[in-house]
Amino acid sequence: MAEVPHKADFFEASRAGVADLELRRKLENASGRHLEHVAEMRAEFPPFEAERDEARRIKEDTIAHLDEYLIALKAKLEANGCIVFFAADAAQAREYILEVAKKNKVKRVVKGKSMTTEEIGLNNSLMRTGIEVTETDLGEYIVQLRHEPPSHIITPAIHLSKEDIGELFTEKLHTPYTAEPEELTAVARDKLRAIFLAAEMGITGVNFAIAETGTLVVIENEGNGRLSSTLPEIFIGVMGIEKVIPKLEDVSHFLEILARTATGQKLTTYTNFINGPRRKAEIDGPREVHVVILDNGRSAMLADPVMREALYCIRCGACLNVCPVYRRIGGHAYNSTYPGPIGSIISPNLFGSAAGHLPFASTLCGACRDICPVRIDIPRLLLHLRWKETEGQGGLAWPRAAQRVRRGARRFAKLANHPRIIRAMGKVGSWMLRPLSREGWLKWMPAPFSAWTKIRDFPRPHPHSLRKPPDTAA
Amino acid sequence: MAEFYKLLARLKGALETPQAPGAHENHKAPERVPVASIAQRAELASTFARELQAVSGRFLGSLSAEKAAASVAALARENSAKSAAVGEGVVTRMSLFSAALEGAGCALMKPRGIDKGHEDERAAMIAQFASCDIGVAEAHFAVASTGTFAVMTAEARPSSLTLLPPISVIIVNIDRVLPNLAAAIAGFGVDAISTNRVSFITGPSRTADIEKRIVMGVHGPKMLYGAIIWPD
Repeated sequence: MAEVPHKADFFEASRAGVADLELRRKLENASGRHLEHVAEMRAEFPPFEAERDEARRIKEDTIAHLDEYLIALKAKLEANGCIVFFAADAAQAREYILEVAKKNKVKRVVKGKSMTTEEIGLNNSLMRTGIEVTETDLGEYIVQLRHEPPSHIITPAIHLSKEDIGELFTEKLHTPYTAEPEELTAVARDKLRAIFLAAEMGITGVNFAIAETGTLVVIENEGNGRLSSTLPEIFIGVMGIEKVIPKLEDVSHFLEILARTATGQKLTTYTNFINGPRRKAEIDGPREVHVVILDNGRSAMLADPVMREALYCIRCGACLNVCPVYRRIGGHAYNSTYPGPIGSIISPNLFGSAAGHLPFASTLCGACRDICPVRIDIPRLLLHLRWKETEGQGGLAWPRAAQRVRRGARRFAKLANHPRIIRAMGKVGSWMLRPLSREGWLKWMPAPFSAWTKIRDFPRPHPHSLRKPPDTAA
Repeated sequence: MAEFYKLLARLKGALETPQAPGAHENHKAPERVPVASIAQRAELASTFARELQAVSGRFLGSLSAEKAAASVAALARENSAKSAAVGEGVVTRMSLFSAALEGAGCALMKPRGIDKGHEDERAAMIAQFASCDIGVAEAHFAVASTGTFAVMTAEARPSSLTLLPPISVIIVNIDRVLPNLAAAIAGFGVDAISTNRVSFITGPSRTADIEKRIVMGVHGPKMLYGAIIWPD
């Protein structure tokens, strides 16, 4: 099964993430570089804003007629020789893929990067039946060797330094220690090339599926997606229902904005258009192509008129890189396939109340909305999920911290009706706290104020009351 | 199949809920994206060359087929290549490249379609591609704005040719250098795209998965050479 977020884990992991200065250095380093590249790419491509609007318009149209486009896609994929399977949930998708593997006596599977297969927890169920599954995206390969989930949807090993990876390769692959990215990459190439040539099945995600032509578009930089869909005899593309786009001409609008926002490139190294199995005399390409189209909670998102907008997401990962919360706590703290701002919207829809706390893990600063290439109003969706929770419509748990704030505000409102008590409390508090301060700051305060000083200092109370300015106080 | 109809029923039910009015309801209809003129071949060629180099590709020049073949033979010698594979051309005589590479001392592999009843040859041919030092292919189109080659597979132009050898050479005819991605996709058209595999290749295989440092050749070619064939 895919990991299900847990509220207590999130608070604990985010506290640990905030305290881990080395993790913060790595995240700031990686996301800072990413944002510089994105800014450069956007600045030198004047039609960028027009392309964003066009991509948004296409998504709005597609999602509003999703049933029709899925009918057209299925018909065209089948005409191209693909086998199409619609999965209502993760279990159905896993069972189908396992069935295909068993039928073809598959022993080795190579996987390109796919968040959808992470979502359905595919690797574990394949490995439980004795099938060897190898993640072939370099970042995914690294985190697989560490038995960890990815911490970012585009850069899975963003939380690791080159030294961490050097030590990992020495321990797991028994190669001499090096921290040079070039040498580490060469080690991975050698190990993975042999695995590619031996694998019977390749599995990747799908970035776009064109209804008009029955084409799966898989974009990547490394070539592992291309190898996974070219060399093995069986290829399976796994996609959510929202990945369909209507026409061939639509795809260029998405390609022009996706790489620019995801990786700060004009276009990724490989943009693969896969249409079906190889023809009889062709040398390479799979003998069978299966397309698994997954619902898994997406039709419920579609039914919610506000949440529907989340289905426009093209998984560029840019909202993670700009998010002040993600950049301080890292992806693993979310304990979900989809971390960061967009993950805080998708996860409650996939995992229900178990992820109900995630929409609150946001400052609502709006940086995610500004960078989103299809202009998803992420803060609005997060507020909507919070609202659903407070109204009890989502069946999600009201977070303890928010409950405390509400109780505290109510008590303060009662006290505020008694100015004498407030003044007396202020005087006593100021008198008691002043001796505890060091260099103008309080490092510790008794409960319930200790919740504040656990993670930040509190300014020393001012010696003069606002009611009595210094000149009159004297 | 039943699941498909169940899904459709769910989607139809879901879509009965109207879209909520939101921040985007006042979006104006987008303006059309400007498409560059293709009148200036030289300008397109120079833009393509600049963009190819920007993605760490190496540009051999705008050359006649004969001169391009000689350049490829020279780079085979420079890299001490011992074997090469040359795919079927689109509009260029690829035999020129085969002859030049043989002249440079490379053992030559020419991909060909698999005959009926010889299915077992497939794995052996793929293994041969994997052991080749250089793969030479002709692209259907090139995209000037991104430095991209668009290669369509054929029986004698397999995908492995531009994927497995560590050095990849791709050529394109000057008439097929187009200004942008939309033009190249339109150039193939719906029919060709729906019946063939097409790879848009923008530079050598790369990764930035280790501390965002860019490294070439993680799975595919470590070096990509490009040439524009501009007949004399």
